[in-house]
Amino acid sequence: MALSSCDKGYKEMNINPDAVTNPTPQFVFSLAEYDGAGAGGHYGSSAADFLLGTMQYTTSYNDVAGWGSKYINSQIQQTYGPFNAAYPDEINELGIVIKTVKSDPTKVNWLAEARIWRVYCFMRQTDLYGDIPYSQAGLGYDSSLLKPVYDAQQSIYTNMLSELDAAAQSLDATKTTFGASDLIYGGNPDQWKKFAYSLMLRLGMRLTKVDIASAQTWVTKAIAGGVILQDADIAKMSYLATGQDINKNPQVLDLWNSDYISQNGVGNVEGGKYADSWISYLQSTNDPRLPIISVVWTGGKPDTTSSKQLGMPQNIPNKQPANFGSYSEPNPATVLGLGSPKLLFTAAESYFLLTEAALRGWYSGASASSLYTLGIQAAMRHWSIVAGSAGTISPAAITTYVNNNVLVSGTLDQQLQQIYTQFWVSIFPDAQEVYNNWRRTGYPALVPNNYPTNATGGQIYRRCLYPISEQTLNTVNYNAAVARQGADALMTRIWWDKQ
Amino acid sequence: MTKFPKALRGILLGFCWLLFLLGQAQPTDRHLKGTVKGPDGSAVAGATVALAADKKTATATDASGSFTLTLPAAYNGPLELEISSVGYETRRVSVQRGQSAITVVMDNNRSSLNEVVVTALGINREKKSLGYAVTTVKGDEFTQARENNIANALTGKVAGVNAAGLSTGPGGSSRVTIRGNGTLGPDNQPLYVVNGMPIDNSVPGGAPTVNGITNNVDRGDGIAGINPDDIESISVLKGGTAAALYGSRAANGVILITTKKGRAQRGVGVEYNSTATLENVAVIPEFQYTYGQGLDGVMPTDINSAQASGRKSWGAPIDGNTNYMAVDTVHHPYTAKKKNLQNFYQTGSTFTNSVALAGGNEKTVYRFSAADLNSNGILPKTTYDRKTLNLTLASKLTDKLSLDALAQYNLETGTNRTGAGDALGNPNWTPLEIANTADVRWLKPGYDVNGNEVKWNDADIASNGYFVINKFQEKDVKNRFIGQASVSYELIKNLVFKGTVSEDYYNYNYYNILPTGTRYVPNGQYSGIKTDVSEFNGMVTGAYKTALTKDIGLSALVGANTRKNQENRLTLNGNNFVVPYFYSASNLSALTTTPYRPRIGTNSIFGSVDLDYKNFLFLTLGGREDWFSTLSPQNNHIFYPSVSGSFVLSDAVRLPEFFSYAKLRGSWAQVGGGAPDPYQINLTFSNVASSGASLLNVTPDPNTGNNVISNPNLKPYTSTTTEGGFELQMLNSRLGIDFTYYNRQTTNDIVNTAVSTTSGYSNVIMNIGKLRNSGVEVLLTGKPVRTANFGWNVSYNIAYNANKVVALAPGLNYIQIASSVNSWATLQQIVGSPFGTLVGTRMTRDAKTGQIVYDRTTHTPVMTSATQVLGNSVAPYTMGLTNDFRYKRFNLSILLDGKFGNKIFSIFELYATRMGKLKSTLPGRANGLELKGIDKSGAPYDTVITQANGVLRNYYDNYKTYSELFLHDGSFIKLRQVVFSYQLPIKNIATVKIQSANISFVARNLLILYRKTTNFDPEQSFTNSNAQGFESIGLPRTRSYGLNLAVKF
Repeated sequence: MALSSCDKGYKEMNINPDAVTNPTPQFVFSLAEYDGAGAGGHYGSSAADFLLGTMQYTTSYNDVAGWGSKYINSQIQQTYGPFNAAYPDEINELGIVIKTVKSDPTKVNWLAEARIWRVYCFMRQTDLYGDIPYSQAGLGYDSSLLKPVYDAQQSIYTNMLSELDAAAQSLDATKTTFGASDLIYGGNPDQWKKFAYSLMLRLGMRLTKVDIASAQTWVTKAIAGGVILQDADIAKMSYLATGQDINKNPQVLDLWNSDYISQNGVGNVEGGKYADSWISYLQSTNDPRLPIISVVWTGGKPDTTSSKQLGMPQNIPNKQPANFGSYSEPNPATVLGLGSPKLLFTAAESYFLLTEAALRGWYSGASASSLYTLGIQAAMRHWSIVAGSAGTISPAAITTYVNNNVLVSGTLDQQLQQIYTQFWVSIFPDAQEVYNNWRRTGYPALVPNNYPTNATGGQIYRRCLYPISEQTLNTVNYNAAVARQGADALMTRIWWDKQ
Repeated sequence: MTKFPKALRGILLGFCWLLFLLGQAQPTDRHLKGTVKGPDGSAVAGATVALAADKKTATATDASGSFTLTLPAAYNGPLELEISSVGYETRRVSVQRGQSAITVVMDNNRSSLNEVVVTALGINREKKSLGYAVTTVKGDEFTQARENNIANALTGKVAGVNAAGLSTGPGGSSRVTIRGNGTLGPDNQPLYVVNGMPIDNSVPGGAPTVNGITNNVDRGDGIAGINPDDIESISVLKGGTAAALYGSRAANGVILITTKKGRAQRGVGVEYNSTATLENVAVIPEFQYTYGQGLDGVMPTDINSAQASGRKSWGAPIDGNTNYMAVDTVHHPYTAKKKNLQNFYQTGSTFTNSVALAGGNEKTVYRFSAADLNSNGILPKTTYDRKTLNLTLASKLTDKLSLDALAQYNLETGTNRTGAGDALGNPNWTPLEIANTADVRWLKPGYDVNGNEVKWNDADIASNGYFVINKFQEKDVKNRFIGQASVSYELIKNLVFKGTVSEDYYNYNYYNILPTGTRYVPNGQYSGIKTDVSEFNGMVTGAYKTALTKDIGLSALVGANTRKNQENRLTLNGNNFVVPYFYSASNLSALTTTPYRPRIGTNSIFGSVDLDYKNFLFLTLGGREDWFSTLSPQNNHIFYPSVSGSFVLSDAVRLPEFFSYAKLRGSWAQVGGGAPDPYQINLTFSNVASSGASLLNVTPDPNTGNNVISNPNLKPYTSTTTEGGFELQMLNSRLGIDFTYYNRQTTNDIVNTAVSTTSGYSNVIMNIGKLRNSGVEVLLTGKPVRTANFGWNVSYNIAYNANKVVALAPGLNYIQIASSVNSWATLQQIVGSPFGTLVGTRMTRDAKTGQIVYDRTTHTPVMTSATQVLGNSVAPYTMGLTNDFRYKRFNLSILLDGKFGNKIFSIFELYATRMGKLKSTLPGRANGLELKGIDKSGAPYDTVITQANGVLRNYYDNYKTYSELFLHDGSFIKLRQVVFSYQLPIKNIATVKIQSANISFVARNLLILYRKTTNFDPEQSFTNSNAQGFESIGLPRTRSYGLNLAVKF
């Protein structure tokens, strides 16, 4: 029939000449690592950096940029950011990787590592929001699921923990790896296994308030599996200092672009500085990390002298203070290295969690006080991993500090206070993990900023808000989540953050 | 003489006798002479002058409007002449033998009885034979009071056509919809056709979005490149049957542009047209001037306080205090500054000059025109230039073979087009949101000695408008070529084959630079688009015409068309200028280049048969089959039929004298369509620019950057139109009415809609929905006064379109098509509601008592869910009223138009409320504001909040979360156009052979006679996409006025 030629060549014409049909999974995985570690820090979607303010590391005199430390009502929508960024990026990308490799027995390590990384990414989300789309998330293309249900956080935790277990056990050092496409471990299955059990340790300990028995079960299991204890095993994303933004440390890029690019102490466009509670605490303990991480600008030069450091009060009402230039800010030589690695799970975190496990009697491999000391020592060494010689703290200085900061015996609560105050000092700038442990243990004992027009009645908020678009695009499931969890409000507690 | 043979003498004698006889039969009074003029006194060239009783006896007027009609030798009948010309009312004039030259003044045609109109594929048909409504607008209606974009000038002129210019500056796009929004798909604008062949109307790089930030620029559409001086007429085919022959892309109607042609004449005709207009901001907001700059009742007295409150009017009572310090570090008296808009924006100007040369002989006619348009926008440094060269040729090579060709070259240059949407890089933010005691000019020049942006407020993303004006750089250059050529050959009598090719090609270069020192991107940003777009159409037709019987005539047409649209786009995005203040793509530390090469093909075959009975009953049957490259190969073609008929009652039966003309018409037609964009049936993956590891991701939408769920089963959509109507002419054609009812239903639309990002994607392509548009269009025409010296014509059109989203998909009750900045309001298609429903939030009220529910912690009303239906973004009522007055050499034309019944959500007012600039933020400033209602638990709540600690400011700031507060009725009536012209008495000028000369005062958008939006022009849209109903701090709309001079030699 002559008419059949009326669409001749049309099939070929409708093939995009600038795109491929089949995804190369390792390339998608690399992108998922960048995205999951916080890329996309452009205006409107910066990944939870306001938590630096909430954990009182930083603040700004400016109400808009200072939301994290001021929680003012008018900027409440800033908390939508991480939710909006995660799903179309890392969650969807990992779905593609998993779908592509899951039926290939030679790619068990690829599958396992994608599953572990997916748990890391989902954990960051559910810990901020509580109930979130999980089991049906990222299936818009594969299953035409356009309105995913919100899973209860309890079931998300159950699934994440078993995912970690299953994925860790499926790793096989004899099989092929992601190699250089894995920017965290170069594909090393043994290290991924340690990462998986470390995340299990983190998630397990998260349950102490809501389900102490499960917490013990998973913490014990994680320790048995083997967690990160050596500096060489730290889970860290590696970055480049130049080139495309996606290859740069996203948190540094965000700090750099929003405040510290001018490098003179006064040109901070969003009015950001270190907060007074942070700097004064480090000074009060003669912390050798203070000169590593903090500078004041005098005469156009960065000055790391500890006694000259000064944190900015968090209650400055939207007006640049006259002495703005005298406040401390991140040290460009260490904290602000665009090519510096981002530490995702450190040996220090393991040691501090093990310290708590030891106190609870779930771990007897070492004493709580020695684990605590090992944690501080490991944290002191982080800065040389991040910044090389500029971040190196002398062994003598470490020893002096450790000797002055031993774990003092007392009630469990009193010892948790020591651990998680030290955790706050040690894990900087991973404010989100500090925020998680603050909600769980109450430490560090931060004094909330009762700033006028705050949205919380002068309390530190306990969760982030779902983006408003979920109300219109996923109404039924959004409403179900709110009905189960409580009002979509800053002071509503998520499941594991039981009163 | 004797040498001549006898026979020869006989022949000579006979010849002389013959000459004598011929001389006898040709008395001088067989020549009727005269001149035909238009209502403005200008010559009407090419008018047909025929003997009413014997139309074969006819001639045409020459370039000066003169004619000589020679009567047949034996003619003894009545001497009544019928003078007709496209665009004029046909006139009959009685003359006497031997009468000296007569002058016939023609009236502009509004609804001519025997009017010939251009229909689909450029075919001329008698209007009375058409079974559907078609409206023709003459080209000269666009050449006096000009719009840079010709499509904007259609507003108010045609019933059912909703045309609106955007408030994006002098080179902006237009948005035209005909009979409402007919599709849930992305494009509801009509197809633009020049001389029968489609042209491209794309906006390079896509239209701006409602929530866009920097670089959210309207880059101008395709129709903006047409020079009004080249237009003979515009026919509006309103969809359905009228357009069915054009196939899928005509589903939303067709705007058919017929360009001017040359005419056979002696010498060269020259036309010169020059227009100079000025423009100013049309609407000044009504701000509060009771409390000035500051926070919490305190006036700033130092620089840091001034910067903290640069855009905030929450200060002390305005009292002239001289201790007030503004962001320029200078002490000023604390007084109201009411002219910030007037001071920030300048008087814009547009200067247009065009010249056309036309001529030819019996075999070949030509016309060449050149036009130059120079516009300076009201925003300083915003310019738009357009140069147009146009050449048309028509040649009758032999009796059977003829050739037509058109070539047009455009050079369009825009600089510093302004964005809209959010505050970032949007200069229009500054004069609107600056504190009310600060003079915006104090922010000049916006940069310091190093060239860096000067801080003026507490949010660096709210750019200093003068820095944007002076340091941001935007430039775009479009080189466009339109070529058309057609050959037609009459194989046997009445059988004509025609082949046509047309190409609309443009090359486009754009860059937008955020310079070094921009506060929110200190190292700068670069974005660029380099593209070329080609729209090719090739068509062959065969047409046959015959009389089946004495009473039945038949004409038939078959044809085939192939369309190919391709683009080769490179999008460049980079940041960090390595050498500061040096702006080149070579100077970026990171640059990504993204190719996008869409290719779209549509092949079609079509045919139609026209039957007429005794020239009063007409029937047309048509059909077309399309194949689409953008659909799934299993479902890539569709056949659709059409039928239409017309019955001229006044020719069939004898009607009372009162009726001059009566016609009934009806039609039914289907149109099918494919997906507007290619590559939507398969999920693909693309490289992500990286300096390290190789990265791959789902290929994003080239215009929005979103992940889109593709659909392998895409099939054609169908749009079905039923239409009926009548035309009446009464009182000797002094009064006319044209009525149309239509119903259009579109099913299986191909829709790109927002989905929850938790699906992993932001959008999905679906084949869903049923959308209905039904409505009426009424055109009333009258000629209350028609005397030699004074004439008054009036034309009124009104249209009502009821739109309803009948269904989407099972389980799907709404889809989201756009979202404002920060999602403060969204635009949705909701089952049971009209197209484009604005959705947002309200204050929560107790269901029984209506009391507001307050949050005790924040002292603010509790926000409802964000799913409250607020209103419809599309005006269902549109109307236009034209009055033309002619008195001797003066002409006055006044066009009013109006649109009614739509809602607009204002982002500017939302911000102005937060900044304390609106009058609505005054209550409570002096003595506190009492909030009375209930709290979330239902307990009574009664609290007085004051300015202390920013509580009152927070209360008003929080108004942003109740979108209902910023919703306005968008209805308006505007004095859209005034043309007052005077025809110069050129007979007194002997030195130059001028045929006519007109000088006119012209004005567009002169006054808004009625509006409900206090603070902005209701037509404040900045995108020509479906996302209407949002005001979002675009360039203010303007009124323009000036002078026009038109001379014909």
